[in-house]
Amino acid sequence: MSKKIKSLLQQAKLYRSQGLMGEAEKKYKLVEELIKESDQLPNKQKLLNGLSKKIDSLNKEVKAIESAPTTPEMSEHVNELIKKLFSFSSKEKNESETALEGAIALAKFGQFEGALEEFGKLLKVKSQKFSAAKNILRCHLEMGDIESATDQMEKWEKDNMFSSDQLEKITVFFDDIVDKKGLRKELAVSKEPEEKVASEDELENGEEFLDISAVAISFDSGPYKGEQIELDVSFQSGNVISLIISSKDEALIENMKVDARLDDVHFYSPVAIFRGAGIVSAMTQIKSGPKKGDYSLDIKIESL
Amino acid sequence: MAVFNLKKREIECKIVFYGPGRCGKTTNLEYIFRAYKKQVEGEMVSINTEGDRTLFFDFLPMELGKIKGCDVRVQLFTVPGQVHYSSTRKLVLRGVDGIVFVADSLDVRREKNMQSLKDLQQNLKDYGLNIFKIPLVLQYNKRDLANTGMPIMSLEKMEKDLNRQLKAASLPASAVTGEGIGKTLQESLKLTLQSLQKQFNWAQK
Ligand SMILES: Nc1nc2c(ncn2[C@@H]2O[C@H](COP(=O)(O)OP(=O)(O)OP(=O)(O)O)[C@@H](O)[C@H]2O)c(=O)[nH]1
Ligand SMILES: [Mg+2]
Repeated sequence: MSKKIKSLLQQAKLYRSQGLMGEAEKKYKLVEELIKESDQLPNKQKLLNGLSKKIDSLNKEVKAIESAPTTPEMSEHVNELIKKLFSFSSKEKNESETALEGAIALAKFGQFEGALEEFGKLLKVKSQKFSAAKNILRCHLEMGDIESATDQMEKWEKDNMFSSDQLEKITVFFDDIVDKKGLRKELAVSKEPEEKVASEDELENGEEFLDISAVAISFDSGPYKGEQIELDVSFQSGNVISLIISSKDEALIENMKVDARLDDVHFYSPVAIFRGAGIVSAMTQIKSGPKKGDYSLDIKIESL
Repeated sequence: MAVFNLKKREIECKIVFYGPGRCGKTTNLEYIFRAYKKQVEGEMVSINTEGDRTLFFDFLPMELGKIKGCDVRVQLFTVPGQVHYSSTRKLVLRGVDGIVFVADSLDVRREKNMQSLKDLQQNLKDYGLNIFKIPLVLQYNKRDLANTGMPIMSLEKMEKDLNRQLKAASLPASAVTGEGIGKTLQESLKLTLQSLQKQFNWAQK
């Protein structure tokens, strides 16, 4: 008995020293039970007291771990490294594209101040300023700073930084995040979200299409009302992505029609998740091969 | 993501140490940092949080010298193993050329190993990569604990759990004593460079 307890305590100690807190706690709890059940053990209460001290201090450690900040601000040096290591534009791509990717990486690692600085520089580069602007808003909003974001937008408008087309897209982008983050109530004057109408040429302002790996479509009517369906992207060509719908998923097939507009789609890309809209541009049943009978669905991304 | 400079005959590749939380990824890199000082190019950078857990990544750049007429550099990374850092983990994995999957030999981590391997497969897939095709080495870490009477899994059991279908190169190791760590790295480099050779044909004939 005491041998077993000893071995369990040793295990708990090792797990704890390795940071395996859950495992350590389980062993302590097991020991606790064993002690409680036993009739032969001398000074039971003392043992239990000692044990509950151990468990307490373990829990303290767990709390410290859990409450540690997940995105602490890093040193300049680390930020430089992150930019360098996580911008993947190939060498043929131009400097500013690489810079944009680096800045996005910073934001992804929660280094918003550093990222804002970089995006700020990119506002001056014509080919990047549109993306930079959106990312600036994203950073402010990630930090919960709506005011800076709205100030920025007002300033851009006043300075005629963007075409009215672009400005509208930027506003839609902003509204979208505000809604998603539930920040709407903090906006002093809440604006009606504007109708998103993306025309062909809007999508051609030098933006590259991100690789989309999966989408999640939300429905506000039909059999999937209120639900979100996730589908993997099997193929992508520019702003058109292809998905496979299993022949078994009759309800979904019923619900999809060419030209149907999908107003709320999450596009999962390697860098981030984007919310936007799409239009079903083709839907065909696969006639042969392993996916025979399934449907191939093309969605044209309208706005990201 | 491998970077080639064929004119200068330089090649740079990225190897990521993946695995469940606390399995010993960072300890692997720390050992390599100490044991291969000569090949290390600069410093090891670790971005940690409370309790020495990796928050973003560890980064260790190495310069291996000439291999088949090419100057080979390799960047070693570790991912944060803890479940809730999944988006960072995926980000660090981006552009990977070779993977060392560090599995924890402790009995109590059995399921965590399997979950992490599955997570790896999914993340690779999202990047259009296939776990069966990517250069992959499985490392069964913490074998030193066998001598202390701590409950650990047999190698056979780990093979069965993790490598039955994959049939990847696998080896026992202890990142604390250093046993098997150099071998793991060498094996991974060999496979990674072979695979890059197949794809890009960089070696001098
Ligand atoms: N006995 C023994 N302990 C090990 C070994 N490798 C790592 N450890 C211990 O396991 C604990 C976790 O090691 P880390 O290297 O920080 O683990 P990690 O995989 O980087 O963990 P995360 O960053 O949280 O994902 C530490 O206490 C190490 O000392 C080993 O081979 N043997
Ligand atoms: Mg670590």
